[in-house]
Amino acid sequence: MEIRAHTVCAGKAEGEAVAYKGPFSFLGDLDPATGKVPVLGHELEGKSLANKVFVFTTGKGSSGGPRIAWAAKRNAKAPAAMICLESEPVLSCGAIVAEIPTVDRPEKNPFELIKTGDYVKVDATAGIVEILGKP
Amino acid sequence: MLLTDEEKRMLAGEYGPGVQRSLDLLVKLGDSFGAERMARISYGHAMYDVIPEDFWGLITEGAKPLTKVTTHPAYQPEQWKEWGITSGSRADEFIMEHQRKLNTVHRLGWLLTETCAEYLLGIIPRKGEIVAMSGSCMQVASNSLFGASVDRAGHLCSLASCISGRIPIMGLMLPENRYAQILVELDDLDVADWTDSHYSCLGYYVGEQVSGLRNVAVTGLSPNIPFDFARALVIPLPTSGAVTLCHIVGTTPEASTLEEALGNRKPEQVIKLGKGELTDTWRRLNVWNDDVVEHVAFGCPHCTIDEIGRIAALLEGKTLKASLLIGASVPVVALARQQGYVDTIEKAGGHFLSCCPSISNPFLHPNIAGERRAKSAATDSARAAHYIARVCGAKTFFGTKEECVDAAISGRWKGRELKWK
Repeated sequence: MEIRAHTVCAGKAEGEAVAYKGPFSFLGDLDPATGKVPVLGHELEGKSLANKVFVFTTGKGSSGGPRIAWAAKRNAKAPAAMICLESEPVLSCGAIVAEIPTVDRPEKNPFELIKTGDYVKVDATAGIVEILGKP
Repeated sequence: MLLTDEEKRMLAGEYGPGVQRSLDLLVKLGDSFGAERMARISYGHAMYDVIPEDFWGLITEGAKPLTKVTTHPAYQPEQWKEWGITSGSRADEFIMEHQRKLNTVHRLGWLLTETCAEYLLGIIPRKGEIVAMSGSCMQVASNSLFGASVDRAGHLCSLASCISGRIPIMGLMLPENRYAQILVELDDLDVADWTDSHYSCLGYYVGEQVSGLRNVAVTGLSPNIPFDFARALVIPLPTSGAVTLCHIVGTTPEASTLEEALGNRKPEQVIKLGKGELTDTWRRLNVWNDDVVEHVAFGCPHCTIDEIGRIAALLEGKTLKASLLIGASVPVVALARQQGYVDTIEKAGGHFLSCCPSISNPFLHPNIAGERRAKSAATDSARAAHYIARVCGAKTFFGTKEECVDAAISGRWKGRELKWK
């Protein structure tokens, strides 16, 4: 199964998917030291995004997000790739500086096709997401 | 993107590696948003202290001043040490990094305004002026309250604009993208007794309801609401969400009428909100299980002189149990000192600092205060409450200024759930 999408940050990566039907900010929603979501009561509380293919809706939050993306990447705790419905400049800045392959505006609904735990390959340069299902 | 000859030379490295990296980053960002060319910024507003030092080194390498740049709040590790917030050795590490960065800042000739509310210093972008800004609170205020042409941007991209003097023309810089797509209607709410905190709570709720970078128009408020209220409403929009332009009909410069704010189009979405939504939001901003308050934070964004005056009036002759930090710029604090407000607040035990009192509050942040950090904090700002809970990991009390000052004096939270009329 493939989904075509628009390139936010070029590059290729693959890994296990984490699908979250909500918005995301690197600042507040990701601990750059552990790669985990530190928010109490969050659907992903305590879950790691490190080296995962993270699927979510859009970016949000303070303009400080990209420095956390940079720090997470330095600690090898950043997501391997990101797929979102629609990016926005703060999220895109984080993806570009941390060189996280990222796509948005997918042509099919990723939440119907990608489930948490699926193995997913993202070719953000070509704008192709390949879903391989459960490993 | 279509680049000028000068921009091509920047990208080729003729202006040094920092400018080259900056332009490379901005071209990638512009390409991903379909920008066709770059604009020169009239000035930039940068963050330096919280920027990872390796990134800071790369982006400023060999750079010379190309544009006017002002600064966002910075660390003040000498003060942390003096006040005993931070252990000596930890403070010394911050002092050394701060000094290394300051050397570069001085070399680049930046104006050390050190505030997230620069408009209070008279540095105000005009309507349509192209400015690159760090700080989602500066972005949303400059766009909404002054009509400046400021797109949403991350710190590191704004920094690239401050180094290169360029910004890709995209998003909110395009006039056709400045109309509101979302209409916010207040349903059966009496705003007569509202404080800054009520407007802050409203903005936080609206930000959560809007997906991605869409503009909102708020209708139903009386014309020309006071500046402090308008500001309190727009500031949390890019905290709970990504809204970077909010028209307040009858108050802000691009919204003399609802039709003007909407560009004579029908809104894509109408958000109606009333007592239920605001009560629930107020409740969610409070994250605590016992009533002990160790710290109180004001000034997210940096306090106006009127706010400091109100805090001083409440603290006259009092002594504080909790630590109190007021984030405010150096010139505003100078005015407050002249009025006698600083004396009253400092006598009670309060502190002033032109730093960030929320995301990097030195009394609360584990990386700064370590084991000495306060584990609970009260604030009157929804933006501060959001980040104190999430980034500092402290128990958080959200309420009015009066409730927060009361908590600073007694060390206990007696804030009540608001009755929305």
